[in-house]
Amino acid sequence: MREPVVTREMIADPKTKYGDARASTRHFFLQRLSGASNILFTAFLIFIVVRLAGAGRADVVGLIGNPFVGIPFAILFAIVCFHMSIGMNEVIEDYVGEARSNRLAVSLNAFFALAVGVVGAVSILKIVFWG
Amino acid sequence: MSARPRPTSPHLSIYRFTITMTMSIVHRATGIALYCGTVLLVAWLAAAAWGGEPFAVVNAIYSSWFGLLVLFGYTWALFHHLLGGLRHFVWDFGYGFEPGQREGLAWANVIASVALTLIAWTLFVWVA
Repeated sequence: MREPVVTREMIADPKTKYGDARASTRHFFLQRLSGASNILFTAFLIFIVVRLAGAGRADVVGLIGNPFVGIPFAILFAIVCFHMSIGMNEVIEDYVGEARSNRLAVSLNAFFALAVGVVGAVSILKIVFWG
Repeated sequence: MSARPRPTSPHLSIYRFTITMTMSIVHRATGIALYCGTVLLVAWLAAAAWGGEPFAVVNAIYSSWFGLLVLFGYTWALFHHLLGGLRHFVWDFGYGFEPGQREGLAWANVIASVALTLIAWTLFVWVA
């Protein structure tokens, strides 16, 4: 089956698989920026996991409950979720061509990244503020 | 104005694998794995926020042999994707494209990711 002819309007519409030129540039740049922030996140993650491997809940609350650990960790984790949603959109762009399933996949991706980010960040902040 | 449909490119099956191509694929694969793996981190954090009992359950699952296997894979994927990202930064500044350099970077990526994973687990899990 031949694909439909691509018009300028289709390319300009960010909802089509062809994407928006300016959005793509923005995504390219933000992916690098968030990637750089993720280096810091990884350092944090290793620090936290090493300190807490096999530890009980009291130790977890003791470490992540420290606002100087918990708050940056929550922010960095939110940026991770943003980074991964851009990355998954790129994968979807490559493999999910059909317009409807493309839109569905992009929406599911946004939902997943948002859900993971919110549950993660809220859990950390709960530990910081309420123990 | 209109354009012809874009040409589609043939997929993985017809190519002879090179190290740079393989590392590009692995970078994407580890990205997808880490995407799914965030659920593990969030489950751990949410259980810790919830209370002692759910936290003990999650801890027990993660410290089972299967849990440790998944976490080991997660560690490698994290290091591989991190180093792959650094490789992209090198390229973004215009370096490392010459023949030899790019293969070297790709091999360094695999070797360093395996080495860092083994070092991290030796120091923090097996010895500690």
